[in-house]
Amino acid sequence: MNNTLGIIFSDMQDWSMTELASHRSVAAIPFGGRYRLIDFPLSNMVNSGMHKICIITKSNYRSLMEHVGSGKDWDLSRKKGGILIFPPYALGENHGLFTGRLDALKRVLDYISSSKEKYVVLSDSDMIYNINYRDVIKYHEEKNSDITAVYTKYPLNKTCSIHKIMYEFDEEGRAKDILVYPIINGIHNIGLNTWVMNKDFLEALIHDAIARNYKDFSYDVLAARVHSLRIYGYEYKGFYAHIDSLQSYYDNSMKLLKMDVLQSLFYSKTGPIFTKTKDSTPTKYLNHANVKNSLIASGCTIEGTVENSIIFRDVKIGKNAVVKNSIIMQHGTIGENAQLDSIISDTYAFVNNDRVLLGYSSCPFFIKKHSIV
Amino acid sequence: MKLAKKECVVMLLAGGQGSRLGALTTKIAKPSVPFGGKYRIIDFALSNCVNSGLDTIGVLTQYQPLILNSYIGDGKSWDLDRMYGGIQILPPYQRVGDSEWYLGTANSIYQNIDFIDQYDPEYVLVLSGDHIYKMDYSQMIKYHKEKNADCTISVINVTQKEASRFGILSSDEDGRITAFEEKPKRPKSTLASMGIYVFSWNKLKKYLELDNSNPESSKDFGKDVIPAMLKSEEKMYSYEFKGYWKDVGTIDSLWEANMDLLGHDGFDLYGDWVIYSRHEERPPQYISSSAEVKNSIVSEGAVILGKVENSIIFSGVKVNENAVVKDSIVMADVEIKENSQVNYSIIDEMVKIGPGLKIGTPKDQKAEITVIPRDSVINNM
Repeated sequence: MNNTLGIIFSDMQDWSMTELASHRSVAAIPFGGRYRLIDFPLSNMVNSGMHKICIITKSNYRSLMEHVGSGKDWDLSRKKGGILIFPPYALGENHGLFTGRLDALKRVLDYISSSKEKYVVLSDSDMIYNINYRDVIKYHEEKNSDITAVYTKYPLNKTCSIHKIMYEFDEEGRAKDILVYPIINGIHNIGLNTWVMNKDFLEALIHDAIARNYKDFSYDVLAARVHSLRIYGYEYKGFYAHIDSLQSYYDNSMKLLKMDVLQSLFYSKTGPIFTKTKDSTPTKYLNHANVKNSLIASGCTIEGTVENSIIFRDVKIGKNAVVKNSIIMQHGTIGENAQLDSIISDTYAFVNNDRVLLGYSSCPFFIKKHSIV
Repeated sequence: MKLAKKECVVMLLAGGQGSRLGALTTKIAKPSVPFGGKYRIIDFALSNCVNSGLDTIGVLTQYQPLILNSYIGDGKSWDLDRMYGGIQILPPYQRVGDSEWYLGTANSIYQNIDFIDQYDPEYVLVLSGDHIYKMDYSQMIKYHKEKNADCTISVINVTQKEASRFGILSSDEDGRITAFEEKPKRPKSTLASMGIYVFSWNKLKKYLELDNSNPESSKDFGKDVIPAMLKSEEKMYSYEFKGYWKDVGTIDSLWEANMDLLGHDGFDLYGDWVIYSRHEERPPQYISSSAEVKNSIVSEGAVILGKVENSIIFSGVKVNENAVVKDSIVMADVEIKENSQVNYSIIDEMVKIGPGLKIGTPKDQKAEITVIPRDSVINNM
């Protein structure tokens, strides 16, 4: 698989994630106790044997850069290949931020052209799943397709469908119709915004887009050219989550508290999800600790009650504090006797002693980074 | 090209078998014995070095080095993958003329004089890889310089009872060492050597060469080199360390040191003096609805469905439904199956226990600690 180049878009769709992405790119949103969203596409690629990967960022990329660093935690600090982050830069007529996926690719055309890999995997950062791209590329070869889109069968309702791309396939698996951001109910083939192409094909596609002034990959390429291009679908069957709003962030985080989801995501045969090493201590449970059905990262000190919650690294839960149905991100402090239910607290949040904070599962209450309650 | 010299080179003694750790060290050297949920014993000495600004370390290995070698790797977990200096493993090697195993602690350094000379250091810090403590060696080196000493030995105050287990020093008001006895029957003082020495390199080199040509010598620092230097009235000083320090050379002391992590007045892993370690990537720990975890330390990737009390749980351990772990140390990737009970035990890595078994005797029955060796599968008794 060292014949495959990886391209990850760190924030194609940050418009819907305003709370969590207000000061970081979508790719840097903390998830699952010790990860950031970028860890999932990065680990998928590394576990599939790819080691030349670039990340295209747009704005707010400080925490992303800090997280990825030299890439050594993903084994990507290499002489050949390795990781490269592309912040926006001005080149010729390309000024300012890119306006869409095609525009973004246009700006890294040099990098793509000069790469010697045969295939390219394009992936977004707001989808969580554990996949082996070797299988996708094998399928891509077998079908001799121009574009192979990874999809999963997923139940939609009218509120969650608006950020998704829907595929319809014929019996051969070739796409016959593609709907972008439909408003629709029922179980459908939902794209994971992950595509495999031959590198030469991607180059030609970008040149074509420049010539025709195409801006949008989904509308102008996928949907408009579904009949002229050989677009095939590869079905992914494991756990999948799309983080496109605070509510979906909350709902999908809570799904991690099921053993089968944990198994599918973190103990898959493909490999583990890698993240930045922090050298946190193990977590300490004191005598009054009472923890039920929760995911707890390292470096925490727990003296209170934690139920149905996700606790990130280096969090302190004070004596007699009760944390239920909540997500406490890294370096959070929950004071003594505080009571929290259905809360998402961003990093470094500090909840004083005796505070009572209540959200509801269909409307979790959000505490901003560094805030003191 | 000759590179800049290093002021101080560290020589870490990691070749001992640690025979008093019994089954825990049949396949691995003592410094690589797991500790505290996610560490190995050598992490403490290595992290102390890095935190003290020392980046040139030779690790002397001899006994069962396989796990230790792969654990250390290129040293990147401790930030010791350096262009110049960094960490280097030094096993005994063949040469023209006599080739030998390391015959003693002093001999192992004697055989690596060339390694140290490459860096042309002023000082050499000699450490053991089998102690649990946090110490700023740069303060000790500063003290060594202030005293213009030839050798500085770090000491800790122990009780009269413990004193006969250690090398015991007597020193005058200025800290100058007046007497040294290895494991004395009737100790004259309670200042115990911690096995941490700063030497001025030119002096040490001279004494290592003298020691090597002495056929009577057992080629050991405590038994031979230190007494010889003292006899010749070299400037030797004691440097008192006040803090937590534990020699984990026995099953009991290893268990105690682990349990000290749970107490409030014991040893604390938290704080700015970070202990670095190498570890595999693991998901967060999962504590289920049926689980109960009290007064314990639990590491990444553990899955707890049963009851855990007063215990140290390493990465990837699985404690199944209705299983109970009490007063125990359970090392990485152990699985305790349904309805099993583990009491007052040390379970080494990758052991499988159960279902429905009782391991160990409860601590309050004054029994000995039960040790289950690596890779064992116990499904009936």
